[in-house]
Amino acid sequence: MLMHIVFYSTSHVFEAEERLKEKGIECKVVPTPVTDKAYCGVCIETYADNVEQLINHMEHSVVE
Amino acid sequence: MVYLDNAATTKYKPEEVYKAFEYYVREIGVSPGRGSYQLGIEASRMLYKTRRVVAKYFGIDEPNVIFTKNSTEAINMLFNGLLENGDHVIISCYEHNAVLRPLHTLKEKGIIDYSIISREDLMLSPEEVYKKYVKSNTVLFATTLASNLTGRVIYNPSLIRYMKVNGIKTFVDSSQGAGKIRLSMSDEEIDYIAFTGHKDLLGLPGVGGLVCRQKPSWKPLIQGGTGVLGDSYVNPDVFPDAYEAGTLNMPAIWSLNVSLEWLKQSAESIIEHEKELMDYLVTELDGIDNITIYDREYDRVGAVGINIKGKKSNEIVQMLDDNDICVRGGIHCAILAHEALGTREIGVVRISIGWMNEKEDIDALIEVLKRVGEC
Repeated sequence: MLMHIVFYSTSHVFEAEERLKEKGIECKVVPTPVTDKAYCGVCIETYADNVEQLINHMEHSVVE
Repeated sequence: MVYLDNAATTKYKPEEVYKAFEYYVREIGVSPGRGSYQLGIEASRMLYKTRRVVAKYFGIDEPNVIFTKNSTEAINMLFNGLLENGDHVIISCYEHNAVLRPLHTLKEKGIIDYSIISREDLMLSPEEVYKKYVKSNTVLFATTLASNLTGRVIYNPSLIRYMKVNGIKTFVDSSQGAGKIRLSMSDEEIDYIAFTGHKDLLGLPGVGGLVCRQKPSWKPLIQGGTGVLGDSYVNPDVFPDAYEAGTLNMPAIWSLNVSLEWLKQSAESIIEHEKELMDYLVTELDGIDNITIYDREYDRVGAVGINIKGKKSNEIVQMLDDNDICVRGGIHCAILAHEALGTREIGVVRISIGWMNEKEDIDALIEVLKRVGEC
């Protein structure tokens, strides 16, 4: 299922991208598709499940 | 022209650095964190990658790097954010005005007090320094990596560690010496490092920063656009965005990324080359009549400060300039060091070598200085 992982910090978006790609997980940085202004304007888009353990140290939410 | 003012700015950069600047301004050309189109995303990615490279360079795993326009801004951010009413700070007598002035301003406002470790006391053991200078309200020990006036290495890993173990936060101003002396914040118990890109790190002017072992929670130095949480009336509590209000100098930041990568391959040979040149320079200076070489006996980075009896520093600088040789005289924004050396009235001539200098440059300098001594 396509999901978006949203973060408060832009730096965390790219740290998440780095960690996922290091594990061979396909993902893409895209505009954040939610209207919640609390989140940074870009987020991680991925079809992969079980990626949250890789990014748990960063404040985030998952939008499916 | 012979350029021997590398402690001010390294004039010559690796070709890769010029290319990185050109690549950024031509092919990217947009700001990070300001647009969610792919080009803007790539700019943000390049910013993140550079945070990683800088953090790794200074020995931490987390990319806790705040970019500023120079080390002065980074130091002001730290002192104004970290220090609270009633705090006490310890600094060395070799600190640049970038450290002295923000502290002194806070002192004049009645917020903090600071003590200066004298030149003689820098030779004391960490225990003795602690006993003599630390007060019950001491919260920070700040030291320059190296003197920008004499080149002397001031950073003392044992003293930093002792302070930290005894509950005092530690800060290193690496403006002089980063690139020549490698620091590891994790291994050496350094809480904060300020750096500037345009000196020994061989980047461009306009980028510096503060590296933090732990993410800070104190207030930012300036308020403004951060690219996130734009509906808030003040900077959001988001690291590092909250501390980087306004448009960042991404061409210089990306160039710094490339210069640090370049240094990974080249630092060892550069350090060896510069050490040979410095040894040659100091030996040749020894042969000039009536010369004073400040901090002659200490380990140094690529700078040395001198005077020739009967001449003011500005007169020597002028004679060298007439011969197309660039050095710097005067006070060098380091009044504390001049007071410690007793050179406040006459200034000092600073000769600072860089990776592109050769023995012939030293020979040209010495030839003119010998004539100065005869005038």
